[in-house]
This record gives sequence, C-alpha cells and structure tokens, in this order.
Amino acid sequence: MKEIGMKKFWTLLATILMVSLLAACSNSTDEEADSDDDAPAESSGDAEITAWAWDANFNVAALEIALEHYDNDDFDMEVIENAQDDIVQRLNTGLSSGTMNGMPNIVLIEDQRAQSFLQSYPDAFYPLDDYFNPDDFAPYKLSPTSFDGHQYALPFDTGVTGFFYRTDYLEEAGYTHEDLVDITWAEFIDVAKDVKDNTDHPMVSLDPNDLGILRVMMQSAGAWYTTEDGTINIEDNEPLALALEHFKEMMDNDLVKLNSDWSQFLADFNSGAVASVPSGSWIAPSIEAEESQAGLWQLAPIPRLDIDGAVNASNLGGSSFYVLNIDGKEEAAQFLGETFGSDVEFYQDLVREIGAIGTYIPASEGEAYQFENEYFNNQQVIYDLSQWMEDVPPVDYGMNTYGIEDIITAEVQNYLNGKSLDDVLADSQTQAENQFK
Amino acid sequence: MHLSPEAFIQIWRGIVMSEHVETVKQTSFLKKIRKSYIGWLFILLSMIGISLFYFYPMIQAFLLSLQSGMGASLEYVGLDNYVRLFNDPTFIAALTNTVLYLLVQVPAMIILALVFSVLLNDPTLKFRGFFRTAIFLPAVTSLVAYAVIFKYLFSGDGLVNEFLLSMNLISQPLNWLSDPTLAKITIIIAITWRWTGYNMIFYLSALQNVDKSMYEAAKIDGASAIQQFFFITIPLLKPIILFTSIVSTIGTLQLFDEVMNITSGGPGNATLSISMYIYNLSFEYTPDFGYAATVSYVVLLLVVVLSFIQFRVAGDRD
Repeated sequence: MKEIGMKKFWTLLATILMVSLLAACSNSTDEEADSDDDAPAESSGDAEITAWAWDANFNVAALEIALEHYDNDDFDMEVIENAQDDIVQRLNTGLSSGTMNGMPNIVLIEDQRAQSFLQSYPDAFYPLDDYFNPDDFAPYKLSPTSFDGHQYALPFDTGVTGFFYRTDYLEEAGYTHEDLVDITWAEFIDVAKDVKDNTDHPMVSLDPNDLGILRVMMQSAGAWYTTEDGTINIEDNEPLALALEHFKEMMDNDLVKLNSDWSQFLADFNSGAVASVPSGSWIAPSIEAEESQAGLWQLAPIPRLDIDGAVNASNLGGSSFYVLNIDGKEEAAQFLGETFGSDVEFYQDLVREIGAIGTYIPASEGEAYQFENEYFNNQQVIYDLSQWMEDVPPVDYGMNTYGIEDIITAEVQNYLNGKSLDDVLADSQTQAENQFK
Repeated sequence: MHLSPEAFIQIWRGIVMSEHVETVKQTSFLKKIRKSYIGWLFILLSMIGISLFYFYPMIQAFLLSLQSGMGASLEYVGLDNYVRLFNDPTFIAALTNTVLYLLVQVPAMIILALVFSVLLNDPTLKFRGFFRTAIFLPAVTSLVAYAVIFKYLFSGDGLVNEFLLSMNLISQPLNWLSDPTLAKITIIIAITWRWTGYNMIFYLSALQNVDKSMYEAAKIDGASAIQQFFFITIPLLKPIILFTSIVSTIGTLQLFDEVMNITSGGPGNATLSISMYIYNLSFEYTPDFGYAATVSYVVLLLVVVLSFIQFRVAGDRD
C-alpha cells in the first residue's frame, strides 16, 4: 500500500516535470515557427516592409510622406518609432548575435555612427549602388555612408550649419547682417564680446558635455579626430587646437551660458537669454517655435576657422537610411531609391510639411525651397542652407568619433582649469591610441 | 497539483516509514542519495533555471571577456583585455568614481537610515506612520523618473539654486551638473535620497524584535539614549547592518540609471560609473563586447571581494 503511494507520488512529480519541460519546448518551437512564417510572407507578394526611425515629427514623418509619394500598390511599409539609443542597442545586440530575426528592413543610422556599424557587421547591410545616383547628393554625405567602395545608405537629412542670430541684440551691439557674413570664429568672438558689453547677453548656450561646436569648427577646415585611414589625429591637429583655443576664450570671457540638457538649450534661446545659435539647420523649427520673436532672427553662414582652405560651411549631425541584408531588401531599396533617391517633388513636401532639408542637390531648385520666411526677416532660409550644404567639406567620421570625444570632453575640463593646450592634445592622443588600437 | 488530504497523509507516512525502514538497514552511500532524492527533485527546477540563466551566461561572459574585436568579428586574445584595463584611463576614472561613491555614500546612507529608524521606532512619536511612509516612498519611485527630476532640481535655474539664492546662501547659481565635484555630490545626494528609506525599513523591522526589557534595564542602570543606541541597538542590529551594507555596496557598484540620466557621466568623465562605461563600450562607441565583458568581470570581482571583507570585518561566526 505504502509502496504504491510512493510510486504514485514519483510518477506524479515526474509527469509534472515532463509536462512543464514539454510546454517550455513547444512554446519556443511555436515562436520559431511563427517567425519563420512571417519571413517568407515579407518577401513574397504583399511585401510588408518594416522601418525603424526616431523622432515622430521628423524622420518617421519623412518616411510616411515618402510612402505617400511611392507609386507602388504592392508595397506596404510599417514605420516603427524607436528612440535612437534603442535602435543602436537593438541593432548591436541583434547583429552581433548573428541572427537577423526581428531586424527591420530599413533603419535610420546617424552618420557619425555609421562606419562603426558598417565595419563591425560587414555582411549585414545591403549595398544601394544600383538604386540611385550618389552624385546627386551633397559630397560630404557620401564618405560616412559608404564602405569598401560601396554606397550603403541613402543619404537623408543635412545638418548643414548656420549662424542664427538675434537681429535686435546684434544691432544694439552695432552690427548689421553684412558684418556677420563669412566671418572667422575669431571675429565671431569679438562680436560676442561686444554683444556681452552692450546687451549683457551671452552669445551662445553650450553644454560642456557636448563638443558639437568643436566638430563644427573642425569640419569647416576639413579636419576630424581621425584621418581617412583611421589614424587618431589629435596631437598635430591644427584646426582642433585652434577650435579648442576659441572654445576656452568663449568660456573664459563669459560669452557662454551653460546648459546641461536639450530642453535647457532650447529654453536659452526661446527665452531670449542668448544672442545667437550657431547650429545645424534642424534647429530652425525650434527657434520658430517661439512666436513672439518673429522677425527678430536672421541667418548668416557659419563662421570658419582662420586656416587655409577653411570655408564658411560645416555640418552638425544628420542621418541616413540603410537597408538590411534580409528578405525584402530589393523592395526596400527600390522604395528608397524612387523616393529619397530621385523625387524632387517629394523633397518639396518634406520642406513644406516638416521642414526637413534633404541632401538631394536637385531638390533645391524646387519651388518650396524658395520660400521667404517671415520669421527670419523674409530670408530664403531653406535655399541658403541648401546652398551652403553643397560646400560642406567632406570628412571621414571614422569609427570612433564618440569614443574619442568622451576622452576629449574629459581633457577639455582640464584645459579649462589651466592645463596647457599641448598637454591636453598630447594626452588625448595617447589615451585615444590606447583605447582604439 | 491537487492531492486530497488522505492521499497527502499516505504519502507522508510512506516517506516516514521508508526512512524508518532504511535507517534500520545498513545505509550505504547510494541509499543516502536515494533518501535525499526527493529533496533534490524539489530544488531541481530552480537549479536548472539558475544554471541556465545565471551560470551559463556567466561562463559565456567569461569566454567573451577573453575575446576582442568590433561587433560580431570577435577573436580570442587571451588576457589582453585584462591587461588593457590597467592602461585605460577611462576605466580607472570610472573605477575611482565608483569607489568614491561607495566610500562616501554607503556609510552616510547606512548611518542616516539607522538614525531615522531609531527615531521612528520611538512609540511616543506622533504621526509615525506618516513619517515612515514619507521616508520609504522614494524607494518605490522609478529610477529613471526620479533621476530626471533630480536633474531638473539641480540644473542651473533649478529649484535647488533658486532656494539657495533666495536664502542668500550663494550669490550666483552653482553649476551642480557641470562642475566635476558638485556633479559627484549631486549623484550622491540623489542615491542617498532614493535608498535611505529602503534600508530604514530593514532596521525598523529588526527593531521590532529587540526585547523592550533590555532598554528598560539599561534605563534603570542609568544609560543615556546615546549609550542605549551604541551598546544595545547597534550590536543587536549587526546582522542587518551587514546585510544592508552588502546589498548597498553591490547596488552602488552597479550604479547606472542615475549617472546616465542626471549627468550622462559628465562633465568629462567626472561622474562616470563602471556600469555606464560598460554601456558606452557596448553601445555608445564602436561595440567591443569582449572588453565590455572584461569590465563587467571587474564588477563581479569587486562584489565578491568587498562582500568577503564585510563578512570578515563584521566577524559574525554564526
């Protein structure tokens, strides 16, 4: 009797274990089967393409406008909005695991990050050479988005920089628009000092953790933290050294209002605290958001470094669309090629509806680009920016922009506290070489 | 599973009887195993789970820490990554920051939590429940949400500066987030606010178990409140203090959310924590998961060593 009780108990326990194990197994096979079912469906017939992008009002909206312009009834695309950080994490974990399950067909990647993906995961992306003509795009946009002789991205928005300034403050300091066109950063600092003396407003708002302005200065002279072959280029980088000197001079003379995040940055010019915003073209909608300042803003070309070959055009940010090497790649590439890659009318809608300026050169002759913006004293803001865009010196952002910049950010703190510029550059060079062999 | 009470009793008797029978026989090793079979079965599921989701990834992470390379193209480099640690100023900065947080924040928080718990344990205190809840409440807030709020409190024109300015304690706003020292202080204030109440609850519950007669006896012997605190409360709470300091140490070593959201490691890398450096190595820079795994093994090593020291120092033999 007791023996049987024991046996029953054992059997019961074993059965429970078996069932739960089986359940776990069958669950996972179900899931695999599901995703396997999805994959072929994507490649056949009704082509359901997925795209990942950040910023609902900008990049996601741009993809949706493109979808409206795309004349193909068989094509259907789902745009999934993800934060940029999430996209970077998911791509990295997904691609490094070696399975392409759950990856999108089209993904937006920031230009400064692109090489790190292209070189880390060489077979994960699909070359787009056959789907559009890269020569139609701003030259500076091509080197970050190509690798090993192939064009891997369809270049999207530009971060061409402009020197947005408050006409009333600058007038009070004794400057007209002509005085601010095609100046150097040294002259910019002189202007900033006059503005500070006459209006008591700092010239710019900067986040000490974000060295964007250094990159803007450097790129105007065609230089970067690394050279084209990936060598760390800090110690003997004359443009960078000059940019750092300018940066320190601005800090030391109270020409800068410090901010610690994006919303404070926006508040600093929307509230009228600072006199200018030297930044990427994408900042224009944020400036316009403060309606009470309509007519008080104007736009000059970004200052240049006082170095041979430097131009009054630079870039800050910008991203491009990539196609992953999975089923549906041809459809996705064709979609990008026929919209972002060649449709002038589509670019007019982009400007009209979301204020996005692409890097497709023929688009600038379109009608929407000629718009005279009352907010900026009837200046043809979009047209001017798109003209400067063509002059932006191309630089190779390489793979380590963010890594090197963290090293330099730390050294810049030392520099502001009195460490000599030569030591700052030499130490950054050594650290970067150790870290990114 | 549903067993009727009768069946359950029968099974129970079966176990007891079979044990009885076996003890009568000579017990061999095999029999011993067989005897404890049932116990093993009970823990089998969780053992499989732990092996699968803890030990297997740990071994994989160790193997990963011996590799280096970009993204998916990793190759074995032996102990190169571990050597690299010593020449990596960013890692050393992250380690120094983390150790600093540890040395300043954990003791400060433990002491604060102890003081609060003793104050709130006083039966004559009015609104005890309210105070307890108020101090514990930070522990239920989301890490990210509170970090973002702290960022705004301590920003240039944030509430903290406004308050200090209006009290005439400072003449111009302090750069809480962009000054290297103040940024560290901000992080420490934030973590302390978030976790003090959590630790206090442990002490409060332990204090419930302290026999009141001890305090009465001490009072009769003429011990002051402070003497009672040091000679009765602290010794009796020792195991709990040990527990909370280990948990807090481990928590601080894994500090991520606050640094990420309040300062993102800056200015420079003045507030960078080890966990945030691991994140940067994996997702912010060109991914080197091998080296990131190496850095994470340093955290593991630190946790083990520090916990060991704490056990030793606390010296509980039971």
